[in-house]
Amino acid sequence: MTTQRSGGELTDPMTVDEFRATTNAIVANIEQVIEGKTATVRLALAVLLAEGHLLIEDVPGVGKTKLAKALARSIDCSVRRIQFTPDLLPSDVTGVSVYNQETRDFEFKPGAVFANLVVGDEINRASPKTQSALLECMEEHQVTVDGVTYAMEIPFMVVATQNPIEMEGTYPLPEAQRDRFTARIAMGYPDAAAEYAMLDGYHSHDPLEDLTAVVDGGTVRRLIATVRSVHVAEAVKRYAVELVTATREAPELRLGASPRSTLQLLRTAKAVAALDGRDYVVPDDLQTLAVPVLAHRVIPTADAQLARRTTDAILSELVHRLPVPHDRGRSPYDTRPATPPNSFYDRRG
Amino acid sequence: MNSRRHLGMVAGGATILASAPISQIFAGWSWLFEGGLMVAMVTGAALGARSLRGRLWAQLLAMLAALLIGLTWLFGGDTALLGLIPTPDTFAQFGSLFALAGEEVQKSYVPVPDLEGLLFVSALGMGAVAIIVDVCAVGLRRPALAGLPMLAVYSVPVAVYIDSVSPIPFVVAAIGFLWLLVSDNVDRVRRFGRRFTGEGRGVDVWEPSPLASAGRRLAVVGVLVAVALPLAVPAMSAGFLGEFGSGDGLGQAGKGPRGSGRVDLFAELSGRLKQAGVQDMVKVTTNDPDPFYMRFGVADQISGGGFASHQPAGQPVSDNLPDPAGLDLSAVRTQAATARVEITENFAMPLLPVYSAPTSVRGLDAAWSYDPSLQIVYSQRSNSAELSYEFDYVRAEFTPDQLRTAPTMAASDANQRDYSRVPEVPEVRTLVNKLVEGKTNNYDRVRALYDYFSAKNDFKYDVAAPAGTSGAAIVDFLNNKRGFCEQYAAALAWMVRTADIPARVAFGFTLGGSADNGVRTLTNRNLHAWTEVYFSGFGWVPFDATPSTYVVGSAPTAWAPDVDAPEEVPGAPRPSLSPGATDGSAGPGGPTRDPIDPDGGVAGPINIETELPTWVWVASAGVLVLLVLLVTPALRRLTLRRRRSVRAAVASAGDGFATVGAAPAELTMTVVGDTDAARRQAHAAWDELIDTMVDHRLVVDPAETPRATVERLISTALPASAAVEQARLLGLAEERARYAPVPLSAERLAPAVREVRRAIADEADRGVRLTALLMPPSVLLRWRNGAYAGLTALSARTARLSEVVMRVLRPLRPRRLLR
Repeated sequence: MTTQRSGGELTDPMTVDEFRATTNAIVANIEQVIEGKTATVRLALAVLLAEGHLLIEDVPGVGKTKLAKALARSIDCSVRRIQFTPDLLPSDVTGVSVYNQETRDFEFKPGAVFANLVVGDEINRASPKTQSALLECMEEHQVTVDGVTYAMEIPFMVVATQNPIEMEGTYPLPEAQRDRFTARIAMGYPDAAAEYAMLDGYHSHDPLEDLTAVVDGGTVRRLIATVRSVHVAEAVKRYAVELVTATREAPELRLGASPRSTLQLLRTAKAVAALDGRDYVVPDDLQTLAVPVLAHRVIPTADAQLARRTTDAILSELVHRLPVPHDRGRSPYDTRPATPPNSFYDRRG
Repeated sequence: MNSRRHLGMVAGGATILASAPISQIFAGWSWLFEGGLMVAMVTGAALGARSLRGRLWAQLLAMLAALLIGLTWLFGGDTALLGLIPTPDTFAQFGSLFALAGEEVQKSYVPVPDLEGLLFVSALGMGAVAIIVDVCAVGLRRPALAGLPMLAVYSVPVAVYIDSVSPIPFVVAAIGFLWLLVSDNVDRVRRFGRRFTGEGRGVDVWEPSPLASAGRRLAVVGVLVAVALPLAVPAMSAGFLGEFGSGDGLGQAGKGPRGSGRVDLFAELSGRLKQAGVQDMVKVTTNDPDPFYMRFGVADQISGGGFASHQPAGQPVSDNLPDPAGLDLSAVRTQAATARVEITENFAMPLLPVYSAPTSVRGLDAAWSYDPSLQIVYSQRSNSAELSYEFDYVRAEFTPDQLRTAPTMAASDANQRDYSRVPEVPEVRTLVNKLVEGKTNNYDRVRALYDYFSAKNDFKYDVAAPAGTSGAAIVDFLNNKRGFCEQYAAALAWMVRTADIPARVAFGFTLGGSADNGVRTLTNRNLHAWTEVYFSGFGWVPFDATPSTYVVGSAPTAWAPDVDAPEEVPGAPRPSLSPGATDGSAGPGGPTRDPIDPDGGVAGPINIETELPTWVWVASAGVLVLLVLLVTPALRRLTLRRRRSVRAAVASAGDGFATVGAAPAELTMTVVGDTDAARRQAHAAWDELIDTMVDHRLVVDPAETPRATVERLISTALPASAAVEQARLLGLAEERARYAPVPLSAERLAPAVREVRRAIADEADRGVRLTALLMPPSVLLRWRNGAYAGLTALSARTARLSEVVMRVLRPLRPRRLLR
């Protein structure tokens, strides 16, 4: 049994100007709290508009949770927070059916995920058992408890923060869980000026307290509808597939990116293009997104790990090697072999 | 820096080695001293400029300056400031040295003594070669190109010697070239890093490697093949291994004594002239400052349609010979002189060469007689080989004015009767009548006929022209206008006779090379024939109609000047004939003519230029083809650009535009009409931009998006340029054309491309700009990649085909059949 999807339909896309004004307002709002991190903030917003989930990974104290909360507060919609602790149970996340004495029936108590924005703090401190409770809702936007499936509202976004796994008291995120996050971003340390400005800003009180919502859920739905209408040329689609295929063929990677990642890459690229004021996707969007969207999904080989090669570096190199797509045949200055060199010998088998 | 210094010195040394072929031209070695000095100065200047970190053009300027100073020092004389700094007078001096060199080239015979003009030219040439070699090998690091100027040096003796050149200088020059190549490559290898042996031991000192020795062996084999190959090829063996006694029709001209004085002089002459190798024949010493040709034979009989000699008749030689026939010695100026002659074994004839006209002969036995009408010394029994004798003679100096006074002789006169007999050939008669028309005296008539044999009338010297003096041959010759002295002499005599003036053909030697200590050595190459015309009261007057450019040691006279020389005042005495001018320069070893005489001297080099040999045409055709090949990439680039801009212009007509407020305000014109056309225009503009970048050596990366490419272009090549916006527009247009549903209007793309191209060119070096213009790398790269792709596709196709064939043939393999 499935409940009806609630929260309205994705209709009425905005014009380019309207879209720009709205998104700029959101970004400016968040930036009241997070200083000097425009690119990160825009990327987080892009993930929201691409109907994806965001994983913020960095060392403690750089503002991961602050970003997640600022994003949630900027949008006037339901926000729930889950603090992932080692003793957190899956039912705490998804909700549980309890026996109602009055109605003499089991009644479903929705868990923390039933919200438009779910902030999962320190997600890798919970056990993998608890984390897997998120798998269904993140991918399928639904929760099944006791044989009953409950649909999530639109927008639905999980913003999780985590420490790098080298930190103490953390569990590695399962591959399936990692694959559900559209993008993983790192906050990075603020530069000296931003840090100095932050001292002033946080002098008397937390500016997060002053943050008010600038858009409501309906507006976000319109924004999402706008993103969905962004044009993607055939060449760009091909490029996305080539890029993901390249991760699967790269000799330095043991596990390449999934087809799900191709989909999410293109969706996020549409959001980034729309944020950039374009109604079409360019390969530049895919190139800038390759690391945030793909790097956390792939697993380097033991050799690459021994050589201290990060997945970020490997993916950046891939992007720089792959020719940019267009519908006009090969560039006259492209000296790479026209067909993969192996193909001929493979056929000899 | 150190390696370049080394390479520069090697370039200098290699240039000196490469100049070894010049030793074939000079008898002495002063050229090596002076040329070597030039090379050393040029090399030193290049080293200095390089150590001051001068760029290539600065090095070139330094080398040119060093060459100029060196030349001024050696050849400038008193004209230079402080002996080193050239003044305008110095350049005038150089000009006259050039002129002198041209004259010396004409007058001298290899090997030449140390003549000032030739030394100047060789020093200048060696310096120039040193500059080119240095620029090629050190400046451009293309030492292989340095082989070309070195080869040019080698071509000098090849051009001078008609038959063959010793291979030794070639080997020396080749060693120099190889030395340069080896040094350059050692330097290149050294740049990779340190050398190691197989055991991993570092190589600090020079140590042979197997690969290097293989290279050296290859080089030696290459040089050996280059020397030996011509010997194996029959067509080229006329060189130094050619048979010495060859020549057509020379079979009977052996050394044995000849019974009669009748010798086929024409056959003898052509055979000897075409003979491979040079043989000394006569050594003559005379106190005459300005001698004419030595002569030994006369052909005065028209027999069988051609000229032939007849049996001479006269008295045994004595101290007192009769005066030459028909010459009134009191009427003309004469020069009395004495000459001593030594004949080598190579000249074995029943005739003796003497200057005209001998008055007394000493040192000969009674076997020798003198024919006063032919003015030849002959013998019925003896042979001239290895004779030596002395004779006195008077040389008459006629002037045109004197000769004009000679009266036409009566038909009954013996000379007139005997020597103007000629078979009637209508073509010759027509030509002669046309030429002599309107001339009032015999001299002017002869001059008109003589002047006809000029380069202006397309007459050329060609020793390969068919020999023969038969009646038909004269018409052939006058039509073909190709021949050597034999044809010219006979043709002029024939035509003079046709004009009813007595004429005959004389045989002898030209002046040969310049005198060495007063001794002139005459060889088979100096054998010559010319025409003598009889003027009443003056006797036999020589006219040499053969083009003087090709006759080594030719002597134009006042009455028969060089027809190819610029116009001289008729009748003006030649400067060299005036007694005062000749005294100073007639010393031992000196040229016989006043070297810096501005009037007489200039004639030399101009002479050479008036007759262009065929190789000049071949060479200019080659240069033209080369030029066309060189220009092709630039033309291709131009047409490509034209086509792209035309495409933009045609397509932009009649589009509708709409404004979309998404991108920055000024870049938002998008097309509503024909989107495909707009896309094509954007692509054309973008291709042009990419090609321009490639042309200006800006990196182009196929993995880069248009946006990133433009941003990189702006940051690297267009800092603070007005074209930044235009470049962004091009990037946006291409991006939209590729990826957006609606492309950008192409209206402003063509001017944007132009502006960006101009901005890129402005930022580039001059060298880069020049390359982009003349030899655009974009075109070359396209061609190269195209060829590469084609070859790859071909090889893949071949492999696939062979695979198919193998699959078909697999069942037929013998082993399978046997099983």
